Amino acid sequence: MANISQPSQGAWTRMLPSSTAAFHRISALLTLAILVIAFSFASPAFLSVNNTLTILLQTSVIGLLGIGMTMVIITGGIDLSVGSVLALSGTVTGMMVKAGVPVVPAMMLGVCMGAACGLFNGFVVTKMKITPFVATLGMMLIARGAALQLTGAAPISQLGEAFGVLGNGALFRMVEMGDNGFPRVIFPGIPYPAILLVVIAIAASYMLRRRAIGRHIYATGSNEEAARLSGVLVDRTKLIAYTLSGALAGVAGNVLMSRLITAQPSEGVMYELDAIAAAVIGGASLMGGVGGISGTMIGAFIIGVLRNGLNMGGVSSFIQQIVIGFVVIGAVYIDQLRNRR
Amino acid sequence: MSQTQLAPARFDAEAAPLVEMRGIEKHFGGVVAVDGVSLDLRPGEVVGVLGHNGAGKSCLMRILSGAMAPSHGEIRIGGDVVEMGSPQDARAHGVETIYQTLALADHLDAPSNLFLGRELKTRLGNLDDKRMLAEARKVLATLNPNFTNLKDPVSSLSGGQRQVIAIARAIYFDVKILIMDEPTAALGPSETAMVADLIRKLRAQGIGIFLVSHDMHDVFDLCDRVVVMNKGKLVGAHPIDEVHKDDILSLIIKGELPTDWRPRNLEAAQ
Repeated sequence: MANISQPSQGAWTRMLPSSTAAFHRISALLTLAILVIAFSFASPAFLSVNNTLTILLQTSVIGLLGIGMTMVIITGGIDLSVGSVLALSGTVTGMMVKAGVPVVPAMMLGVCMGAACGLFNGFVVTKMKITPFVATLGMMLIARGAALQLTGAAPISQLGEAFGVLGNGALFRMVEMGDNGFPRVIFPGIPYPAILLVVIAIAASYMLRRRAIGRHIYATGSNEEAARLSGVLVDRTKLIAYTLSGALAGVAGNVLMSRLITAQPSEGVMYELDAIAAAVIGGASLMGGVGGISGTMIGAFIIGVLRNGLNMGGVSSFIQQIVIGFVVIGAVYIDQLRNRR
Repeated sequence: MSQTQLAPARFDAEAAPLVEMRGIEKHFGGVVAVDGVSLDLRPGEVVGVLGHNGAGKSCLMRILSGAMAPSHGEIRIGGDVVEMGSPQDARAHGVETIYQTLALADHLDAPSNLFLGRELKTRLGNLDDKRMLAEARKVLATLNPNFTNLKDPVSSLSGGQRQVIAIARAIYFDVKILIMDEPTAALGPSETAMVADLIRKLRAQGIGIFLVSHDMHDVFDLCDRVVVMNKGKLVGAHPIDEVHKDDILSLIIKGELPTDWRPRNLEAAQ
């Protein structure tokens, strides 16, 4: 048994699907570190506590979308509808709150709305046999249209303080009253969205690595026919992946709208591309069968840090798009170079 | 005419059949891929299934393995009519299939492939990767002692190793009826010999085997009986000691035996 590589693998390395994926993750992590170092030199405020929290907040939405996207991409599909589903879920929650439903059940309903959109995507992909690109493109229009129609394209504001807690609150926040009568923040706390992201990321990673459904998601994307012949319920597996992606878009929508304390039917345009970019930078293959939550998290932070750092450097949002576009192409190109070896 | 001098029967021809396929038909629109085929398989019997590409043999085997539903006809296993709606159904009845394409998920490692669709789990329902690895190591070692890279994705393995995984997946579980579709097509000589040994071993355990093959040597070496399909129909079913290679070729190509055909075992006895 001399040629078994890494004879004493620890628990965490066994979670990795293969060494190439691990390599990809290390290179992505390195990129993230270089970005952070570069931006801290460029702007002293970059590494401040407040800015770090801002990055966490900004990244949590991309991260939540990216987790769902990763599952769908591993099955060999794609979900272009998450940006629109995010908007529809957020506005449904907003309308519920406006109609007098308490915040928690209203948010749950919003997430269910997202899950329903995802389930519909899965149905169109598996039963109507329409390619994921077209199926979710359809849902992208349906969900956006529904959000705009329901609200008359007008944002819903004055949703009350409770609605803003999820997006603006923080755990372990410490405030003392200053001598001048104004509150002074000792520790800004850990924002709820960041906690939510970590919890969901761990749950998703556990599902993909340790549960049969996760293995079936990889198998389906790796070789759908082989998975079917091996007894994997391929359609059910895909339905679950799309439904989870929709539900997570719903969660992200609630986080985002809560942060704004306004339900914006026009929010989240092109967010699906950030989510896809996060997954791909993190090592997911659009051909299916490859990808992971930790990689996607790193990818989400690379995008979040890039956006934030460029903002602080005063770079226009147009230039930011150009930069992120090149980063995506570069990440995939490097991955291909390595696989060709 | 003493048949006992010839190849002794290696299975019990009187035993109840494992599988009885009756009047199996498969239509694709107007095309008849399988046309009223009836075929039995007894315990410990190796039946060679031959025919041109497109003669319907793969289609027939896919129907038996649950990968395809027949348009007409019934399948009995152990005397009971069974519904083969899916590969899971077939497996539940002890029908295992080694596909020519091997049907492996390239990005997963050998244990994951071996247990795909019937993963071993811990009491909490988590995947029991440790046990799957140990079991895979055991069963793969019986097939190929040099198989040690169990944690690599199977895409990085050799053709022989991939074949071994596909075989292991079929025999690890409680198999009664084994369908092997061109199991040696991608293999070198030593690996082919390994597969031949394995077939003999499984036969001795009373497992019935359908061997789809183009290799006449394999067929004559391993099979008790040979059936030939031509244009969707079963055109011949003969004990292997009844026919010559040329007779089989005639059945494959023309769909009939040579006009001057006499059973080989009778010729020899004269």
